[in-house]
Amino acid sequence: MTIQTMEQETRVIEDPGKRFPWGKVLSYAVLLIFSVLYIGPLFMLVNASFKTLSEFFKDPISPVSSINFENYTNAWERANFSRYMLNSAVYATVATAVFVFTSVFVAFPIARGLVKGAGALLTLYVVALFLPPALIPQFQLILNLGLYNTRFGYILLFVVNPIGMIILVNYIKSIPRELDESAAVDGCGYFRFVWSVVLPLIRPAVATVTVLHAIGIWNELILPTIYLTSADLYPITRGLIVFEGQYGSDWPGLAAAVLMLMIPMLILFMFLQRFIIGGLTSGAVKG
Amino acid sequence: MAIELVKKDYLFGRGWKSWTPILLLLPGFGLYLIIAVGPSLATAIYSFTDATGIKGSPINWIGFENYDEFLFRGLASRDNIAALQRTLVFSVLVTGIQFSLGLGLALLLNQKLRGKIFFRTLFFLPVILGVVIQGLMWKLFLLPNGGPVAEVFEMFGISSEFLGGKPTEAFLWVIAVQIWANVGITMVIFLAGMQTIDENLYEAARIDGAGGWSLFKSITWPQLTPAINTNFLLNIIGSLQAWQLFLVLIGYKPGTQVLGYEIFAQGFGQTGGVSAAFRQGFAAAASVVLFFIVLILGLSANWFVSRRERKYLG
Amino acid sequence: MKKIFNIRLIAVLLVMALVAAACGGDDSGDSPTTTADGGGGGATTTTAAPVDDLTLTVLIHSQEPMTTFVQDFSDDFEAQNPGVTVDVSVVGAADLATVTQTRLSANDIDVIDMFGFANPVEAYMGGATPPAWQTLVEAGLLLDITDEAFVANYDTPSIEQAGTFDGRVYSVNLGRVVYGGMFVNNDLLADVGVSLPTTWGELVSVCEAVVAAGNECMTVGGADGWPVFVGAYGLLGALYPDQAQLVEDLYTGAVKWDDEETLELWRRYKTYATEMLESGTTGYAHDAATFRYAAGDVAFLPTGSWQSPNMDAEATFDWTYVPFPGSDDAADNTNLFGKYDQGWSIAANSPNVETAKKFVAAFSDPANYQAFVDATGFIPTQPTATLESTLGLALKPILENYAVGFEQYWVDPAGSGQWANGSQGASFFAPFNQWEDPVELATQAQIDLQAALDEL
Repeated sequence: MTIQTMEQETRVIEDPGKRFPWGKVLSYAVLLIFSVLYIGPLFMLVNASFKTLSEFFKDPISPVSSINFENYTNAWERANFSRYMLNSAVYATVATAVFVFTSVFVAFPIARGLVKGAGALLTLYVVALFLPPALIPQFQLILNLGLYNTRFGYILLFVVNPIGMIILVNYIKSIPRELDESAAVDGCGYFRFVWSVVLPLIRPAVATVTVLHAIGIWNELILPTIYLTSADLYPITRGLIVFEGQYGSDWPGLAAAVLMLMIPMLILFMFLQRFIIGGLTSGAVKG
Repeated sequence: MAIELVKKDYLFGRGWKSWTPILLLLPGFGLYLIIAVGPSLATAIYSFTDATGIKGSPINWIGFENYDEFLFRGLASRDNIAALQRTLVFSVLVTGIQFSLGLGLALLLNQKLRGKIFFRTLFFLPVILGVVIQGLMWKLFLLPNGGPVAEVFEMFGISSEFLGGKPTEAFLWVIAVQIWANVGITMVIFLAGMQTIDENLYEAARIDGAGGWSLFKSITWPQLTPAINTNFLLNIIGSLQAWQLFLVLIGYKPGTQVLGYEIFAQGFGQTGGVSAAFRQGFAAAASVVLFFIVLILGLSANWFVSRRERKYLG
Repeated sequence: MKKIFNIRLIAVLLVMALVAAACGGDDSGDSPTTTADGGGGGATTTTAAPVDDLTLTVLIHSQEPMTTFVQDFSDDFEAQNPGVTVDVSVVGAADLATVTQTRLSANDIDVIDMFGFANPVEAYMGGATPPAWQTLVEAGLLLDITDEAFVANYDTPSIEQAGTFDGRVYSVNLGRVVYGGMFVNNDLLADVGVSLPTTWGELVSVCEAVVAAGNECMTVGGADGWPVFVGAYGLLGALYPDQAQLVEDLYTGAVKWDDEETLELWRRYKTYATEMLESGTTGYAHDAATFRYAAGDVAFLPTGSWQSPNMDAEATFDWTYVPFPGSDDAADNTNLFGKYDQGWSIAANSPNVETAKKFVAAFSDPANYQAFVDATGFIPTQPTATLESTLGLALKPILENYAVGFEQYWVDPAGSGQWANGSQGASFFAPFNQWEDPVELATQAQIDLQAALDEL
């Protein structure tokens, strides 16, 4: 239900007069110029991926004369991209799920002032927004826990997110307290109340937090360099940069590899985009 | 710190049952302390040592020496302070442009237009692709020898080395790519805000004879306050800590580093040359300096934002 | 640390118990998320092999064809040593130091590629931060291999200059490379009708002739930055043949970057960076430049000799490799400057020390080593090995003039500014960076260096 808001009504800000729609024409012109900036790099990548190395260095931008899939088969053989995709998906899903699940139970008592010093706790989260990533001690911590170069250790790095917590707290504050009272009168326990009453109510905020958090994990580049050394555990970002380091001069091969990675991501995105953009849409503005 | 229940406000039972919220809060909060707060405090401690980060290397307490070196020693301090300034410039430009562009695109796409879902998806796409692919695409798009942008520039008689050239030039291109990559999120959040505005407000104003600009000024802008605040904070914090595009697009090169990159490079031996030293204590000191700057900026932005919120929303 | 871990475990267990118990028979369908966590973590937390077998972990930086060679060699090693699995990790050269550091700390590595060897800091350098290699040795993380038999396979200079610290041997070096030179397209020079330049003046006029005939003089991998100054090491070497002395003189002030004599170096850097190199090199990565050069319309490629395997594979013209003619005196342009490239070290805390030694010993076997040299084009550090490739033949007459260059001696003094390392000066000029005027840049380089020297 939260998702549909985007597709529904649209507001018209322009002049309703029946003259020539200059505003609309101008809007399209601007949007098209921007589209060139977004489609252009993509097109370049596709074009380059069909060239041989020497063709590419002679002329990187002219349209290809013949379609040649060799780069694709080579790239596929050289690196285990399907594994990297799967790893990224596992990291993003599991860490986001753990984060959201544990955070709701932190956000609720803070928002309601159920624990002493709730204000101070919230401040702790606000200050943490500004902390630079504590790469070094975090590394020592994971190392000493024996979780270096493991999926578990890597996921552990992503189970906290102060900004997500703040969005949740703010959203919960907008839920009337009377709800708590009536639930308590009905004899529902705390866990059941938060889980099956509060959680559905704050779904827009949860959706936003989920999307922002998962995107962050999906795009992380530095942490896998530091924490994951087995190629079996690489997420896509790391897999790609290693591939680039190894075959950096082979632009067409690189382009083919990137495109092969993009296709499943694009399909996934097309399926999820209503959810992703809808989640941002309905939740973020409340935060 | 002891976490205790405020008993009088708790409605879900007495006795052992009143422990449930605490027990449920502990995992989330505990993880937070261990993963985020603890290491951050440890960073502060590290910053007073000469730790290399290599197991078995002796760690000595050296007081404020790292800070002294970072801020005052020789001319490296000049470069560090330049990196600091660059971080701020990066943040201001990215926040300002991304915010305005995102708002503009959202306004355009909030009209009745054919294909707006296509445009919205297209502009959001780079967010999904991630920094490595963003970097590759733009390195290719900005090839100085015969790349498409170079060709277009040539038509206008402009020549540029793009990412491999003069530091200021390369820096500006990274800003452009950073905005290109992230304006989608800003736009979607603005769009969301616009859809919560009551259409009747516009109708009423139109009857009063208000036109495009005054509609925007008197209705859209104030009504967008929550979205404006979210975007403003997300952009400031995001841009102050974003440096991975520098790594992907330029690498470690004199005159281009931002502080986040400098910290990573110093701490993990990537200051150029494969024999670079590991200086985690020094990097920690730089982290602490960055923290204070981000904190000051972030808190003043926060103050500004909440003042605005009070003004418009009461 | 252990304690924290337990508290966390207990907390997680508690939550899971609560999920099951609270409110009795909850109808939520989302509970699989918690099990997914356990599954994701549990399945791969330990990658330990069965007791009888062991996995030897080898770390190398990526540089074809070396990478492929090491992988093939490891396959053979596995075949000859049943029960041993060799896990070769390849990382980008820039990440090698980072990964070495983290994996040694995590005790997660057996055999390490010691790439980019730099000499230990000298007494006259004051408090300069030691290079990573030295830190690792001092922290006791590298195995002392002084008494291993395979060390004797290597020539004494390589062991002394690139493997010894405080009288003990910690690594064997696998080869020398030359970086103060350039590849030459003989066919193109013949077509243009000019002969191989032997002095700076000749180089300038050959470049003019080559360009006038519609070709390009030089290309380089400008996008990566360092290939630009690596290409110009020959200039530095030609003007200062004793590079160890130069480093010391810069520290003591006997030589200054903005000396009258040294200014000529900066002028030549500028000519090289702005006039000799073709335009658009800022878009080429290091390897890409070799492919660009192989297209055939560029006369010279100033870079390291390690690119020779790529030249063998890609170039369709007759080529050779010569020292960069940076001096006006042809005799000074026969010196070869370079560095020790990669070497093997063994992690001191490796549980597989014996197998690791066996691996390095097998690699050091003269027959295997010869195959390595053939594949990589390194100048051998084993006296019995020979380099018979195009590169080997080109270098043979002047190999006795080989000397270690600036890079291996130099350590930035703490507090030096970003322009202080004048050996990288060529890459500070436009189009690669912001400088236009050689005298201004030289002055700035000396100021940046002096500021740090003054605090020693």
